[in-house]
Amino acid sequence: MSVERRRFRKVLVANRGEIAVRIMRTCREMGLRTVAVYSDADRGSLHVRFADEAVRIGLPPSRESYLVVDRIIAACKATGADAVHPGYGFLSEKAEFARALAAAGIAFIGPPAESMDAMGVKTTARKNMQAAGVPTVPGSAAPIGSEAEARTLADGIGYPVMIKAAAGGGGKGMKRCERGEDFEALWQSARREAASAFGDDRLYLEKFLDRPRHVEIQVFADAHGHCIYLGERECSVQRRQQKVIEESPSCILDDARRAAMGEVAVKAAQAVHYRGAGTVEFLVDSQRSFYFLEMNTRLQVEHPVTELCTGLDLVRMQIEVAQGEPLHLRQDEVVRRGHAIEARVYAEDPARNFMPCPGRISYLRVPNGPGIRDDSGVYTGWVVPQFYDPMISKLLAWAPTREQAIERLKRALGEYTVHGITVNLTYLTKILDHPAFRSGEYDTGFCTQFAKDLLARPDPRYEDVALIAAAVVAFKRDHDEAESFAARADRHAPGRSRWQSLGRARTLRGSLR
Amino acid sequence: MSTYVALLDGGRREETIRVTLQGPGLYEVEVGGKVHRVDAFRHDYGTISLLVDTESYSVQIDQGGTEAKVHIRGSTYPLEILDERRLRMRRAAGKFTVEGRQNLSAPMPGKVVKVLAKVGDELEEGQGILVIEAMKMENELKSPKAGKLVELNVVEGQAVEGGARLAAVE
Repeated sequence: MSVERRRFRKVLVANRGEIAVRIMRTCREMGLRTVAVYSDADRGSLHVRFADEAVRIGLPPSRESYLVVDRIIAACKATGADAVHPGYGFLSEKAEFARALAAAGIAFIGPPAESMDAMGVKTTARKNMQAAGVPTVPGSAAPIGSEAEARTLADGIGYPVMIKAAAGGGGKGMKRCERGEDFEALWQSARREAASAFGDDRLYLEKFLDRPRHVEIQVFADAHGHCIYLGERECSVQRRQQKVIEESPSCILDDARRAAMGEVAVKAAQAVHYRGAGTVEFLVDSQRSFYFLEMNTRLQVEHPVTELCTGLDLVRMQIEVAQGEPLHLRQDEVVRRGHAIEARVYAEDPARNFMPCPGRISYLRVPNGPGIRDDSGVYTGWVVPQFYDPMISKLLAWAPTREQAIERLKRALGEYTVHGITVNLTYLTKILDHPAFRSGEYDTGFCTQFAKDLLARPDPRYEDVALIAAAVVAFKRDHDEAESFAARADRHAPGRSRWQSLGRARTLRGSLR
Repeated sequence: MSTYVALLDGGRREETIRVTLQGPGLYEVEVGGKVHRVDAFRHDYGTISLLVDTESYSVQIDQGGTEAKVHIRGSTYPLEILDERRLRMRRAAGKFTVEGRQNLSAPMPGKVVKVLAKVGDELEEGQGILVIEAMKMENELKSPKAGKLVELNVVEGQAVEGGARLAAVE
């Protein structure tokens, strides 16, 4: 097989927010020029400022900007970009996007369109995996045409069932239905979410497994027939099918099972002639049997967990593979060290049923120190737009052991300061502190089962301190106001020069001292 | 000396705090029947180093008007801080209640994707009235009380600003 080798000079990142910044960082390290694209809502976004060039691609709703293939291609042509990195979400798993780029002579930093076809529609993926001998979860073989048909099928499979978007990913358009009575409402809601998130409202059904864990394997394939796995990520802490905490290694895998799942994942990737970074997601049930769930044919949100454990830069590897280079390491050269955990910082309010909280960040200070990584897409003064995903940052900790990594992440969450909008930092800390999480005995039902425990109840020991702080600040403010009135009234008072007045006002204003 | 009242638990609980200035940044503060010597030092925006007797606290205050979120050692205390004058005004304006007409406003900017009830419908407490989509997630807004839907100001597909008045239940 002859593989075309090319060297990129300029990479357009067809995405926004933290992942666009993440990708551009590696591009910069590799000496590649970067192009950002942005909607009207994102003119002030960090990724625009971070890039060497930037092109406006339309109105705020993603269907009128980030999801429009022609606009992205036009931006490539306008800037002379010779490759596109799609990030995750948006167009990253659209085969027609990869095809359109190929037709325009622009490289797609991702798998071949045929691999995306084979894995993109989940029902097709299931069929392909069954043919390749990969175990799958019982469910509907194809997208279901009518709601009535779906209801009959759901009754047949037995509740609970999962309603999923055929074009889906990231929990959008995915609903868990517990009872037949709820089916109609959930089906329609899933359909709307799917249409809005992917422009494709086809849905299918799957049996919901008992206390399953979500364990996924990172795979990497080059154009020369090599495919390796880089270990697992445990992503069972999920809310509304959206991952919240991810860690590696998983508490339930030993070396033998890790190798078994890794080899199945490689088999899955090879069955669809995969190339680049991919993730094979499995559900592991209470008997520790594992089933293929789906393959994400893109870089995952949680890829830094693997980067911290392996020391690799997955974006660099993606770019190298897309340039036609062979993988620079063999399976037996993959070294995994220590433990990594990621927490997703969302602009949402756990106390108000996780209501999204777009708005202006009036102050931001990010954590730092040993073993901490913050992949963020925001800054002080940025207005988090209502149009996109509420995730503003991913905070990661690495340490030699799981316990130390958890403590380290907890410490870093305590240093994280976000003012102006509500974020889920306390919720994340509560998860890390929960006995079920600490023990490692948790499954995808964790967030629902322990919802009450995870709600913030402030520690009563420090309530008095909070009251003191609020009162002292209020006192200081009132005092300053009174002083400034007095200073003005004083201005022409006999016996005091203007210098004295100014000095007095200065001493009293500003700091609490 | 100045007296402040903090409203906690969404206004269901009150605590009184008395503050006396002792010197620059030095205060005597009485709260919960105890008197503390407090040394306050403001660092950057919203961050205060507080020495309460000898204990050292790094306190974050995210303040908007009289409402504040105070962060201390991993806990967040949402509260409202009022001086005596503001408290009197507040009391005159009436207490928090679900009696009578309840207005429903948009908790965030977004788009109305579904309207689940129409004017004149008898609603149960917690029954869905409409669904708003923001940040790609759907959120159902529910009736705060049992009653009749007397006002509905939006239609499906309409974009709304945060705080926009959507509906009323009586």
